[in-house]
Amino acid sequence: MTERLARLLVFAAALTFALAAVGQARPLSPDKAFLFSARAVDAETVEARFTIADGYYLYRDKIHFALDPASGALLTPALPAGKVKQDEFFGRVETYRGSVTVNLAIRNFTPGKPLLIRAESQGCADIGICYPPTTQTATVALPAGSVAPSAPETPKKTWFNLVSER
Amino acid sequence: MPPRLRNYFAFGVAAALALAAGIGLAMFDRTPADTTSLLALSLPDSAGKLQSMAQWRGKVLVVNFWATWCAPCREEMPDFVRAQQEYGAKGLQIVGIAADNADKVQQFAEEIKLNYPALIGGYGAMDLSKELGNSLVALPFTLVLDRQGKVAYTHLGPVKADKFREVITKLL
Repeated sequence: MTERLARLLVFAAALTFALAAVGQARPLSPDKAFLFSARAVDAETVEARFTIADGYYLYRDKIHFALDPASGALLTPALPAGKVKQDEFFGRVETYRGSVTVNLAIRNFTPGKPLLIRAESQGCADIGICYPPTTQTATVALPAGSVAPSAPETPKKTWFNLVSER
Repeated sequence: MPPRLRNYFAFGVAAALALAAGIGLAMFDRTPADTTSLLALSLPDSAGKLQSMAQWRGKVLVVNFWATWCAPCREEMPDFVRAQQEYGAKGLQIVGIAADNADKVQQFAEEIKLNYPALIGGYGAMDLSKELGNSLVALPFTLVLDRQGKVAYTHLGPVKADKFREVITKLL
């Protein structure tokens, strides 16, 4: 009886190990490798974040944010500096690992109304594969606070083309 | 180690290996993709000239999905150039399908003196590769078809040069 239990335990451990080994061998899908999230930080700012899995990286110049024009306008500030890499074909490129956070200024919106933020990104995995540009979305509502939405400004980037030319 | 403990250990290791192999096979070794639509396809090359895949029927055909924005793709291509040079006369035909635009492809093709066709698939090439077994829709993705047009080998990520040579020489 004890022996049977022990054997079962060994088998369960083996199964866990096997699943872990196989799980590691399979690369992540881009929405898991470059997890996008957004949260309100104040009355008119949304913090957009990519949480990048270990062994994966994003290209700085391939990150774009957009907001449905009907819900408001979005101002993307300069993205933080990434790690500079010399690409044989494209020259100087910057990449992010770990995570990257950007504060998006939102204008001309309705407080309390959910905003659908779209984020486009493109990255690769160290095992030697790259993903095409991927679009992810996150919904966030800015609080109906005391700060009134400011007058409309010209958005830096409008609803972007989903298939960007490179 | 006492014999009984050693038995458990051996059993555990064997079970883990068998399970990993089984799960791995179930996840990666799907039924070879149907290449009918691939071989019926015509795509423009980087000069804009339409090229039909059917023209390479009867050859050992290597189809490499790539893009200039994919550094690992670019890195493995000089080896494809060497393989085409070495085995072309024996019936090897490498064809690149780029998820990219013609200008970039042309520029890179000149840079590495590409000696095989680089067809322009745009992002539609990604969907095509998915149908052919690239379930993750990532690059580079390489397929080797035998002379009958059947899939003999598929690989996501850079192909190891020695493995690639082993696969193609067996089919040539």
